[in-house]
Amino acid sequence: MLFEKKKVKEQRSILEEEQMQSPFRTIIKNLLENKLAMGGLIVFVFIFAMCFILPIWFRQSLNYQDPTQKNIAPGFSFLNVPKELKGNVEIIEFGPTFGVGVDKDGNVYEWGQLSENLKKIPFDMGKVVDIAVGQDHVLALNDKGDLFTWGYNRLQLDRIPVELKGKKIRHIEAGYQVSIAVTEDGKIVSWGNENAVDISAAKVADEDIQEVKINIQTGIALTTDGRVISLAKRETAFDKIPEEIQGKVEKLALTDKAAAVVLKDGTVKVWGNNHQDIFTVPEEVQGHVTDISAGRNHIVVLTDDGDVVAWGGNENKQSKVPGKAKNAAKIVSGYYQNCAINEDGTVTTWGLKGYLLGTDNLGRNVFYRILKGGQMTMTVGFIAVVIQFVIGIFVGGISGYYGGKVDMLLMRLAEVVGSLPFIPLALILSALIGNKVSDVGRIVMIMLILGVLGWTGIAGMVRAQVLAEREKEFVVAAKALGVRERNIIFRHIVPNVMTIIIVQATISFATCMLTESGLSFLGFGVAEPIPSWGNMLNNCRSSEVISQYWWRWVFPSIVLGLCTVSINLFGDGLRKAVDPKANER
Amino acid sequence: MAKYILKRLGYIVIVFFLLSFLLFGIFKMVPGDPARLMVEGQKMSVSPEQYEMLYQQARERLGLDKPLPVQYFSWFGNILRGDLGYSSVYRLPVIELIGPPMKNTIALNVVYYIFLFLIGIPLGIKCAVKKDTVFDTSVQVATMIGISIPFFISALVFIFLFAIVIPIFPISGMVTTGANYTGFRAFLDYMYHMALPVIVSLTGMGGLIRYVRGSLLDALSMDYVRTARAKGLKEKTVIYKHAFRNALIPITGWIVGSIVAIFGGAVIIETLFSWKGVGKLLIDSLNQHDYTVALSMQMFYILLGLASNLITDLCYCIVDPRIKLD
Repeated sequence: MLFEKKKVKEQRSILEEEQMQSPFRTIIKNLLENKLAMGGLIVFVFIFAMCFILPIWFRQSLNYQDPTQKNIAPGFSFLNVPKELKGNVEIIEFGPTFGVGVDKDGNVYEWGQLSENLKKIPFDMGKVVDIAVGQDHVLALNDKGDLFTWGYNRLQLDRIPVELKGKKIRHIEAGYQVSIAVTEDGKIVSWGNENAVDISAAKVADEDIQEVKINIQTGIALTTDGRVISLAKRETAFDKIPEEIQGKVEKLALTDKAAAVVLKDGTVKVWGNNHQDIFTVPEEVQGHVTDISAGRNHIVVLTDDGDVVAWGGNENKQSKVPGKAKNAAKIVSGYYQNCAINEDGTVTTWGLKGYLLGTDNLGRNVFYRILKGGQMTMTVGFIAVVIQFVIGIFVGGISGYYGGKVDMLLMRLAEVVGSLPFIPLALILSALIGNKVSDVGRIVMIMLILGVLGWTGIAGMVRAQVLAEREKEFVVAAKALGVRERNIIFRHIVPNVMTIIIVQATISFATCMLTESGLSFLGFGVAEPIPSWGNMLNNCRSSEVISQYWWRWVFPSIVLGLCTVSINLFGDGLRKAVDPKANER
Repeated sequence: MAKYILKRLGYIVIVFFLLSFLLFGIFKMVPGDPARLMVEGQKMSVSPEQYEMLYQQARERLGLDKPLPVQYFSWFGNILRGDLGYSSVYRLPVIELIGPPMKNTIALNVVYYIFLFLIGIPLGIKCAVKKDTVFDTSVQVATMIGISIPFFISALVFIFLFAIVIPIFPISGMVTTGANYTGFRAFLDYMYHMALPVIVSLTGMGGLIRYVRGSLLDALSMDYVRTARAKGLKEKTVIYKHAFRNALIPITGWIVGSIVAIFGGAVIIETLFSWKGVGKLLIDSLNQHDYTVALSMQMFYILLGLASNLITDLCYCIVDPRIKLD
C-alpha cells in the first residue's frame, strides 16, 4: 500500500516525464552545477557592488590631495592612545599620522604611524613638561628647561640653536620641518627649514611674545598683552586681523587657511580665508568658550560647562564630536585627529583613525581610489564591449546572411582591422588625439579605441553562426511571410545565436578591462586625477615603491587580478554550460 | 598558389597604403611644429631675421612648405625607399635608431619563445592526454589565472619576490652598472638581466598550453585514432604518431605566427624592465613627442601584423594539403 501511495505522489505530467527543459533553463542548471564559475560570478558581483555602492559614503573630490597624508601604511592606529596614558595623561599632541603623549610623571609615549627616526625617543629627558609635534619630528621641554628633539633630522632640525642655551623657555611649537621656541623674555627663535614656513622673527623683535602657532604656510604670535601679530613676511589673509580683538585675545588657534581666537569675554573670532564654512561659528557657544584648538580645516572649542563643539571640514569625521566628550578639561586637535582630556584624566578621541588600505604619494585614500578606479575600469570595459558587439553583430550578421561580394569585402575589412597590432596602435592614437581632449573625452576615446579595434573576432563568430542558421526552416518561413531582410537577420537569426554571443561578451569584457589597465598603466589611458586600476599602478614602478610602499601596488593588483580571473572563470563556465560539447574537450 | 600569394601581396600593399594615409592624417593633426622645434635652441643666439631664415630652411628641409598631399607622397615614397625620417630627439636617422633596440628585442623574444615552446607544448600534450585528472584541472586553473593577470601585475610581483625580497635577479636594465664585462662574461651578464623579463613573459603561456591541449583533444576524438587504438597500437604510438601529427597543423600556425612576432617588442615588459627594445623605443618616442619615430614604428608594426597573417595562412596550406587557397 505504502509503495502505491508513493507512486501516486510521483506521478508527473507528460512534460516532466519527457524532461522537457528550455535551453535557457538547461544553461542555468549547468551553470549552477559549475562551482568554479559560480565562485567567479560571486566574486565579481561582490567587487562590482563594492565599487558602485561604497563610494556613496565617501565625499571626496578626485582632485583631493594632501601632502601631509602621503604614503601612509594601512591601519587604524592614529588614535590608539596607549593604556599607560589613560587616566594619567598630562599632554597630548598630534602629528599628521601619529600622536605623542606625556603622562603626569613626565614620560613620553608615541602611537600611530611612526617613521624610524620618530621611534627613537631620547631616554634621558627627565620629566617632560611640554611637547610640540611637527610634520615628522617632535620637540620636548623638560622641567629643567632643556630642549630635546627627535624624528626628521635633516636641514639642521636636530640642532637646537646655541642661543637657547641657559635660557628659560616659555613655549614651544613645531611645524613642517621647522621648530620654534619662545624664550622667557618673549623672543622667538626658530630653526630647521626656514623656507618651508614663512615666519619672520624680526617682525616681532620688540614684542613680548606669549606663544606662537604655525600652520603649513605661516605663523601667528600672541603677545602677553593679548594682541595677535601675523608673522608672515608678505601680506597674507592672516594679516587681516580684526582691530577690535587686539588686546583682548586669550587663546589662539590656526587652521591651514584661517586663524581663530578666543577673547576674554568667551567669544570666538575667525579670520583669514573662509574654507569649509570655518567662519560660521555656532551661535550657542559665543560667550562661553574657554579653550580652542584647530586641525587642518576644522576648529574645536571647549565651553565653560565642559561641552565640546566642533565645526569646519568633516571629511574624516574630525568635526563629529562623540557624546562621551563631556566634562572635558582640555582639548587638543592637530591635522585630522582630536582628543578631549577629561577632568579625571581619561581621554576621548575622535577624527581620523587611519586608512584601511593606506594612502598614495599624494595623500589620497587608496581604498577610495580602488573603488572609484573599479567604476572607471569596469565602465570603460563594459562600454568598449558594447561597441565591439554592436559593430561585430552588425558586420557579422550582414556578412553571413548576404554572403558573396558583401561578405568578401566585410571579411577582408575585419581581417585588416584584426591584423593591426593593437597595443602600439592604441598607444599612438591615444598619444596623438589624447592631449587635445578633456579628461572625459580621453576616457571616451579609450572606449572607442578598444571598441573599434576589437570587434573582428565577434564579427567572425556571428558570421559563422548566421551561416549555419540561415538555411533553417524558421528563416525560410520568415522569408515566405515577407519579413524584411533586415528584420530576418537581427530579429530572427541573431536572437537565436545570442547565447554564444553572450559567452564571448563575458570574455571580451575581461580582455577590455585588461587592455584599458595596460594602457593606463603605461600612461596612455585614463589620466590622473581620475583613477583606474591601471593608472594607480603607473607610479608604482620604482623599486622604492615596490618594496616600501607595497600597499600602493598590492591592493589594486589584487582587486584587478581577482576581477579578471573571476570574469574569465565565469565566462569559461558559461561557455561550457551553453555548449555542453565543449565539456568533452 | 602563386596567384594566391600575388593576390594577398597586392592586398597587403593596398591596406598598407590606406593605413599609412590614415596615420599620416592623424600625425598631421598633432599640434606642434617640428621645424620650430629644430631651430628653437638657436633662438637666443641669432638675430630675429637669421632665426626666421633658419626656420624657413628647416621647414624646407623637412618639406613642410609643400602642400599636404605632396608631403604625404614624399613621406610614403621615402618609407618605401627605406628612409624613415629623422628623429628630432636623438638627432639620428630613424633607421639607425631602430637597429640596436631591434637586436635587444629579438634576443629577448628568441629566448622567450624557446622557453615558451619547450615548456608550453609538452605541458599542453600532457594535459590533453591526462584530461580531467587533478594534474589537468590544476594546470587549467593555473593557465586561466596566468591569462587573466596582466603582465604589469605579474612583473611587479616577480620584481618584489625575486629582486627585492630575495635579490637574485636585477630589478631592471640590461647590464650591471659599473662592470665592464667583455666577451663571454658580458653575454652571461646580458642573459642574467634577461631572466626576469623572460620569466614574467612566460606567465602568459597559458594561451599556448590551452591551444595545444585543444588541438590534440580535437585530433584524439577523430575516427582514425579509434581505428589506431582498435588495431591494438600502443597508446604512445597513437598519441604521438597519429594524433599529435594532425594536431600539429594548428600548432604550426601558432609557431610561425610567433616567428614574425619576434621582431615586435612587448611594450609593457620592455618598459617595466627598462629593456631597450623596440617596444620601449615606441613608448619613449611617444612620451618625448618624437612622432617621426613613433610613426615609423607604427608602420613597421602594421607591416609585421599583415605579413604574419599571410605567412600563417601559407604555412597552413603547406602543412595541410587539404586546405585549399583561393
